[in-house]
Amino acid sequence: MNNNFSGYFPTWCPGCGNFGIWGALKNACQNQKIPPVNLAVVYGVGCSGNMNDFFTANNFHSLHGRSVPTAVGIKIANHKLSVVVIAGDGDCYGEGGNHLIHAARGNHDITVIVHDNRVYGLTTGQVAPTALKGFKSKSTPAGIIEVPLNPIALALTQGATYIAQGFAGEVSHLTGLIEAAIRHEGFSLVNIFQPCVTFNPLTTYDWYRQRVYKLDGENHDPGNFQKAMEKALETEEKLPIGIVYQVEKPTYTDNLPQLQKGVLAEADLTADLEKYIEEFV
Amino acid sequence: MTDLTIKIGGAAGFGIMTTGLFLGKIAARSGYEAFEYPEYPSLIRGGHNVVSVRIADGKVFSQEKKTDILICLNEGTYRLHSSELKDGGLAVIDQDKVDPKKLEKPAGNITLLHVPFAKILKDNSLSPVMLNNIALGVLMHLVGADLEILNQLITETFARKNKEIIDKNIQAARFGFEYVQKNFPAGYKTKLSKKASIEKRLFISGNEMIGLGAIAAGCKFYCAYPMTPSSTILHYLAAKSEKSQMVVKHAEDEISVINMALGASWAGVRSMTGTSGGGYALMVEAVSLAGITEMPVVIAMGQRPGPATGMPTWTEQGDLLFILHSGHGEFPKILLAPGDMEETYRLTLEAFNLADIYQTPVFILVDKYLQEGHQSVEEFRIKNLELKINRGKLLSDKDLQNITNYKRYQITDDGISPRALPGMKNVLHQVNSYEHLEDGHTTEEENERTKQVDKRNRKTATFLAKNAKLPVLYGKKEAALTIIAWGSMKGPILQAMQGNEDKFNLLHFTYLWPMPSEPVTKILKDCRKTLLVENNSTGQLGQLLKMVTGIGIDDRLLKYSGRPFYPEEILEKIKETL
Ligand SMILES: Cc1ncc(C[n+]2csc(CCOP(=O)(O)OP(=O)(O)O)c2C)c(N)n1
Ligand code: SF4
Repeated sequence: MNNNFSGYFPTWCPGCGNFGIWGALKNACQNQKIPPVNLAVVYGVGCSGNMNDFFTANNFHSLHGRSVPTAVGIKIANHKLSVVVIAGDGDCYGEGGNHLIHAARGNHDITVIVHDNRVYGLTTGQVAPTALKGFKSKSTPAGIIEVPLNPIALALTQGATYIAQGFAGEVSHLTGLIEAAIRHEGFSLVNIFQPCVTFNPLTTYDWYRQRVYKLDGENHDPGNFQKAMEKALETEEKLPIGIVYQVEKPTYTDNLPQLQKGVLAEADLTADLEKYIEEFV
Repeated sequence: MTDLTIKIGGAAGFGIMTTGLFLGKIAARSGYEAFEYPEYPSLIRGGHNVVSVRIADGKVFSQEKKTDILICLNEGTYRLHSSELKDGGLAVIDQDKVDPKKLEKPAGNITLLHVPFAKILKDNSLSPVMLNNIALGVLMHLVGADLEILNQLITETFARKNKEIIDKNIQAARFGFEYVQKNFPAGYKTKLSKKASIEKRLFISGNEMIGLGAIAAGCKFYCAYPMTPSSTILHYLAAKSEKSQMVVKHAEDEISVINMALGASWAGVRSMTGTSGGGYALMVEAVSLAGITEMPVVIAMGQRPGPATGMPTWTEQGDLLFILHSGHGEFPKILLAPGDMEETYRLTLEAFNLADIYQTPVFILVDKYLQEGHQSVEEFRIKNLELKINRGKLLSDKDLQNITNYKRYQITDDGISPRALPGMKNVLHQVNSYEHLEDGHTTEEENERTKQVDKRNRKTATFLAKNAKLPVLYGKKEAALTIIAWGSMKGPILQAMQGNEDKFNLLHFTYLWPMPSEPVTKILKDCRKTLLVENNSTGQLGQLLKMVTGIGIDDRLLKYSGRPFYPEEILEKIKETL
């Protein structure tokens, strides 16, 4: 059995930021020594979601926008599995935005990795919710009117307990962020700046390199909500990468008495009907 | 022969529904059969609620329009329903509140009985919420039922509250009882005296049967977003979740609901959701996902009148073809439509087995009428119904030890591939919303695509050979007319048949899809004359039968006012037809 998580060689465009994310995810899982059989990965639909064929674990290639609720269902059914979501920005902040909010609120113990390329890659380059204001694309030839969605601030205000931002051009740094996210018990969002070399001529590797800086013990305290919000609002000149926020809280499954005896998927299915019928007599 | 229809109406918020339930249980505990149907607007307060309870010695299949006793807790009840009183019927109304001269008496010999509900409340400083208990007390004397049964029911219902509340409620019932005892001692002509030997009966709704069935089937994940008429499945299962160890999740929307259910199902849990048309419309894309990923899931689909928000608290059979055709692309799905409470329980159990065996979505297609109506069912019928849990081709860790090169979508003769779960030792697999190779990897290669489509379609053929069931014929085979119907229409039609067995029989469909063409064609050909009875405006079963058999039904009786059929309406049509 495959124990190094690798699958088919990716069909992404040469130079695509997805390669860096793919490498970081494989490294993180290997470093964490997660047996692939204990890892469930749910993919949305997009260039990002295509990773399903390039990464070998227990894979569920779900629908565009719906990987988060699928992952929540998996975690409830088998909370012993590590559950990771691979999603695009259109996928997770557009089509499936509602799910992100509620999964964060629930502190469901899943790791949501968002490939933020500020465009829709797979459908050939329309704007994504994180596109910079004025960005011109096939669907917005005159430039996008909406302001970009702020994933970090959104997750922060909705109850996520681990929020990190990474850059696909900084693979070893990103590996650490993903490792910590998987290790974290509770809802984790890793928003990753991902250059799309084919459809996004604006936010290139160089563009990011000029702007990103790493968060560390000196310049940030991820346990401080106010400070985290300050970092979340840095979206223009300087872009923080690193762990923006982390706090320990009971997870959704910690709160389910049904799981205290064991995994739901292994529960005894028989029921004593007698105990239920009497109230109807 | 006892055959008694009682209607109780009043403003919403005054426990009208509870009164109906109590009455049904009193009937069951006295040894009778009963059927109850509530009608209420989509309002929490201020609207008009009415509940109709029919009680008889023998089988009771549905409500009836013609009423013996009408309890009017407001004037509206009298205005709206007094014309339904039978000749010789009785209306109870508080004439301190309504000028008796203003009460137009319907045709026939109707007795108007004044009960001063408001005065009884006031004189005894009882809270207005006790009104329904006074009404029950009144009824107990009118029909000569055992007041002790009512007292017992009150005690059980408020067992968690303090003794004072129980006593007050019992007292309220006694005031009603004693008032009638004194002022109308003879009571109503039909009596509900307690029988000497009593078969233990449940008085239960369709939604409770779905809940009970899910628990008995080992469902461990129920996920839903509230929507009438399916919300009470959610409420029932949530209330029992501690006992049943089922995780019951109210998720953020129906899209999330179904995708969570699919996630849980993939991880090996028997999963279910319940909704109505609008909520189901949101689920449709993921139902298609269940089709291609070959994921078991059970969906309780409760119909109400649409389109859009329609009439939320009323009933219709308007979604048969929507459900049948729902989900883009071609994939097998299984549609079951129970016709009564017992069938609802049995088919819920079966739905979980079929979902596991065929690894595809299975629908329990019900409607408000069946879901929120109550019917008495002998307890032994439910207890004796043993359906072994069958998880189909689900593999175990042990099975997997002997399998090398496991393929989730292995091509098989019956179309069903062995199923591993994430977390099992020694195997990794992929389920995929894209078309895939046998091992789950994405493909667009034409032969592989064709093979997978054929494989999935073969599940339909396997179902038709192994699990499909033909429609059931009720009544005399040689009857001149055959009514064709599905799902909840069974009740009113069987009710109409009582005493009219020579006139018509009923061909009732519960296994709606996949439907075997040849035998159904033969059955339809053998009918002398056919009449389609459906609670919708376009005769959807008729269209489906035409599609499957090419045969058109001779005549149709359709109702789409949001109300279920009364047996009387069916009989009228039959008179016309024959
Ligand atoms: C319900 C639905 N709507 C639209 C699509 C088409 N579609 C596929 S991927 C995609 C957007 C991809 O963008 P993103 O999520 O940002 O991922 P990326 O390709 O950039 O990684 C769209 C609109 C779909 N598959 N399903
Ligand atoms: S289109 Fe963009 S996101 Fe998609 S593979 Fe190519 S570079 Fe990557």
